[in-house]
Amino acid sequence: MDIRIEEKNGISILRMAGDIDINTAPALKDSLESVIRNKNILILINLSGVDYIDSSGLATLVEILKSLNKQGGKLKLTNLSVKVKGLFEITKLTQLFDILDKEDEAINSFDKQK
Amino acid sequence: MIRVGKNVILTDSRLLKKVSKKLIKNLKKSKIDEEIIFDIHVSLEEALRNAMIHGNKSDIRKKIIIETEIINNRITLCIEDEGEGFNFSCLPNPTLDENLLKENGRGIYLMKHLMDKITFEKGGRRVVMVKFLDRKPL
Repeated sequence: MDIRIEEKNGISILRMAGDIDINTAPALKDSLESVIRNKNILILINLSGVDYIDSSGLATLVEILKSLNKQGGKLKLTNLSVKVKGLFEITKLTQLFDILDKEDEAINSFDKQK
Repeated sequence: MIRVGKNVILTDSRLLKKVSKKLIKNLKKSKIDEEIIFDIHVSLEEALRNAMIHGNKSDIRKKIIIETEIINNRITLCIEDEGEGFNFSCLPNPTLDENLLKENGRGIYLMKHLMDKITFEKGGRRVVMVKFLDRKPL
């Protein structure tokens, strides 16, 4: 799994490629925790390069969301494939996560809430 | 089309991916619908992960048996671990409001939704999952 991090308008954008699963979820968790340690609590994850996520990947995202909520931060997701979004829908995690279709739209939605 | 396979692996997540990749590669060669392959992929890996972590308690000496059977329009996957089993009749529903923020509990829920049939045998040590490859029951 490849994770690239970019800062834009005070938002940390993580662009991910590859599977998020039992083997790669710990690396995702480390990357997100490192971003949060640097006091960046507005985080956008772009999943355009992710075709597969399992329950350990979903668990990692829930864990980070909870951590950010406690710190007054926000976590949003964008560019989910139909299949990956389907897993969020089945597990009703769509009720928990702010999921937007496009990255620009997601960045603008942070601005509106600042 | 009739194909039967059996693999025995140790409790190692790298082997989990190896077995899964091999099966998925074979299904792709058979020109099965991508969406159906995705459902099988997720369910197989969830079952293997459960067997490794919850069944075999990550004990690398313990084995997992994976049996696959493709007959006509139906694939059956059987995953068996060497653990003590579990009570599969009272699993919490991870989609209830009080469980949404919990980190665990989504694996079996996903398997039940993505596969057409799922049963637990041997006190929960063995899971049998069926998926119709053309979306129509036999």
